[in-house]
Amino acid sequence: MTTGTPGALDLGKLFAARLQAARVRPYLATALFALHPVESRQVPTMGVDRYWRCYVSPVFVDRTPVEELAAVWVHEVSHLLRDHHGRSDRVARERGLTGPGERLRMNIAADLEINDDVYGDGLVRPEGAVQPDRLGLPVGLLMEDYLRRFRLGAITQRLAWLDCGSGADGLDRGWELGPDGAHGLSDQERDLVRFRVAQGINGRPGTAPEGWRRWAEEVLHPPQPWRELLGAAVRSATSGAGSGDDYSYGRPARRSAGVPRAILPGLRRRPPRVCVVVDTSGSVSDTELGSALLEVAAISRSVGGRRDLVTVVSCDAAARTVQPLCRAEGIELVGGGGTDLRAGFDRALRTRPGPDVVVVLTDGQTPWPAARPACRTVVGLFPRQRSSGSSIEHDPHYRPDTPPEWARVVTIGSSGG
Amino acid sequence: MPSQTSLVTPASPSGTSQLDLAADLLTLLREASTEPRADTQLEALTLAVAADLPVLLWGEPGIGKTAALTQLATALDLPLTTVIASVHEPSDFSGLPVVGDDPAAQGVPMAPPDWAVRLVRAGRGLLFLDELSTAPPAVQAALLRLVLERRIGALRLPPGVRIVAAANPRSSAADGWELSPPLANRFVHLQWTHDHDVVVRGLGGVWPRATLPRLDAEKLPEAVAFARRAVCGFLSARPGLAHRLPSGETRRGGAWPSPRSWEMTLRLIAFVTAADSSRDVLSLLVRGTVGDGPGLELLASLDRMDLPDPEALLADAAGAVLPERGDLRQAVLDGVVDAVRKRPERDRWDAAWTLLVRALETGAPDVVVVPATTLASLRREGWDVPAAIERLAGVVSLSRRADDATRRAAVATGVRR
Repeated sequence: MTTGTPGALDLGKLFAARLQAARVRPYLATALFALHPVESRQVPTMGVDRYWRCYVSPVFVDRTPVEELAAVWVHEVSHLLRDHHGRSDRVARERGLTGPGERLRMNIAADLEINDDVYGDGLVRPEGAVQPDRLGLPVGLLMEDYLRRFRLGAITQRLAWLDCGSGADGLDRGWELGPDGAHGLSDQERDLVRFRVAQGINGRPGTAPEGWRRWAEEVLHPPQPWRELLGAAVRSATSGAGSGDDYSYGRPARRSAGVPRAILPGLRRRPPRVCVVVDTSGSVSDTELGSALLEVAAISRSVGGRRDLVTVVSCDAAARTVQPLCRAEGIELVGGGGTDLRAGFDRALRTRPGPDVVVVLTDGQTPWPAARPACRTVVGLFPRQRSSGSSIEHDPHYRPDTPPEWARVVTIGSSGG
Repeated sequence: MPSQTSLVTPASPSGTSQLDLAADLLTLLREASTEPRADTQLEALTLAVAADLPVLLWGEPGIGKTAALTQLATALDLPLTTVIASVHEPSDFSGLPVVGDDPAAQGVPMAPPDWAVRLVRAGRGLLFLDELSTAPPAVQAALLRLVLERRIGALRLPPGVRIVAAANPRSSAADGWELSPPLANRFVHLQWTHDHDVVVRGLGGVWPRATLPRLDAEKLPEAVAFARRAVCGFLSARPGLAHRLPSGETRRGGAWPSPRSWEMTLRLIAFVTAADSSRDVLSLLVRGTVGDGPGLELLASLDRMDLPDPEALLADAAGAVLPERGDLRQAVLDGVVDAVRKRPERDRWDAAWTLLVRALETGAPDVVVVPATTLASLRREGWDVPAAIERLAGVVSLSRRADDATRRAAVATGVRR
């Protein structure tokens, strides 16, 4: 722990910094202490690998004040907690990004995601930490979004020394100990550390900043792409008893002739009828509606529905129009103003022949039918951010109507599709 | 054209036909060696099947589920029967009604298919129901009865037959296949993924050979005791997790906690312990049985169960072995200090100091700071400071250094904010 030999790693300083980091960010203490420091002369500053080892340059520790080292500890552990290496690998596969240049961009994007909200409140910003505003980018985005918004060029040139190790961008470095080296954490151990930190943050929500609370929420309840969920809900609703392909004894099977004494059911096909009720009140934007409507049409086609079996009811305070989807020019959405979806439900259920499924696209700020309708219901819900607490302040009795129990609700987000 | 004539020619000058050559080429292509490789998901599958629990493999088509099942059948020494659900009719599983001479007197027997008869006659085997999710709903209903009640028509599958089913993920299933919560609760859900490296290496001629877990006869009673302690201890601390129906669209069709699935978990923990498999394997199984959240919580509590008992450490402070990982070590030291606080006695207090010194000598000093501070505050009147405490002087200076840095950082961030 002494600094006797010149050039040796000053562990005392490094651990004092970790202690400070754990004091100012108590909810990260578990993760900070789970990191195993490894002295390395090849790493430019500090870097982590995906097995939760932290490589430290002795020179860097010598020339950096304790409080800045503390910030670097938090920065590095954030890479691991937010699974930047796994996400980098996924992005690389999905977008076909190869080569060290792309990995450097991922490292920068990951740094941007961390740096835009991690410092302050007792944690100094380390010298040279890359900030979104220096690249002319907005704050608060995810690594994947940042990655779309900048290229390597003159402005990122001076960041080329930047290197947080494979824990940040998934690219293995020469100095790293690899999967078989000592003091690595297994998959399951890493999951558990993450889980514990997330639990700690959720248990004491007041202390952690917004960014970490959102992260903890996602660790415990990872978000799912709404397109897939909506698809699954609509498919499941349309393929229930009475529609779709299924066997029925109501008609003999074609292979009955070959097995004379056996009674075989026949495959019967009845394509599902889908009625989409669209909330056209002023509060839902056209783009949102358009994308969701297209999605429903595509799904119902994929389950064997014909275009003429999909009808659309646009509805604000009253149900306006009923149109089949087969009109080439697309769907006319009429409306604006307030919403009463009960009218839309009535209209949808009165169409003959009756629908197998009603899909409702709405922001949910509407009264709902009191009784369960006679067919399955899927609600695509556009989440509405209420300006924090203000509506409650003005009207303490205000409570938005939530979709009823009998409907399957899929929250339609802007991302993740 | 010359190429055509050469194929038509019955024999080449050497006397071998083109088809013989083709067969040689095919033999060469088939030649592949194997290498041992740890395969967590196959190990998990083997243990679940050995534990006689219905397993549902979730995975995209064409990623080697069948190959895995072949390996599993070899390991368990069971003949493999594969049934592709989507090409069968419901009557193939529930039995074909065959009308006899006098149905009123004899009844209508449900004739089972030939593979079922063979399976029952053999008395043992591995039945793999592939492509469960692409079959029409009536077929799926019949299959689920087969899995859960082990009946095909009038036949009952003998206990020596193990069943594994496979399905495509909900989002990519061709139609709306999903399990209702009661059904989902009866399965161990395993997510089947392919490892890119394994596939590339396999195509290059070297396939992995998994060494599969073997149960250790001597460990059986101990395994049962451990499993009971783990699950009961956890559930008495978290009674809310004993039964929790899945809510919301994202969790639908997956694993969730109930007394039934906890009983399955208990069985799986015993099997994993008896086979001495890794925590990664256990993690897959537990999360596939009670769901991610409760599964992770149980694993976290197992992690704590593995930690040395504070009382045992206090009893033998000189010979104590502390965990290497910093976060676990801190948890142990906190536990020790807590034990002293509950029963403050002079010799326990001294023993705790010895433990802290040991921790300091064998690992990072920052972990010791908080327990040391707390332990110092537990001092009673008349208790002399033990000699060992002098060796903790480094910790005091470390703490002071962190304090200074915290103060500087607070000033700096205060100015910047």
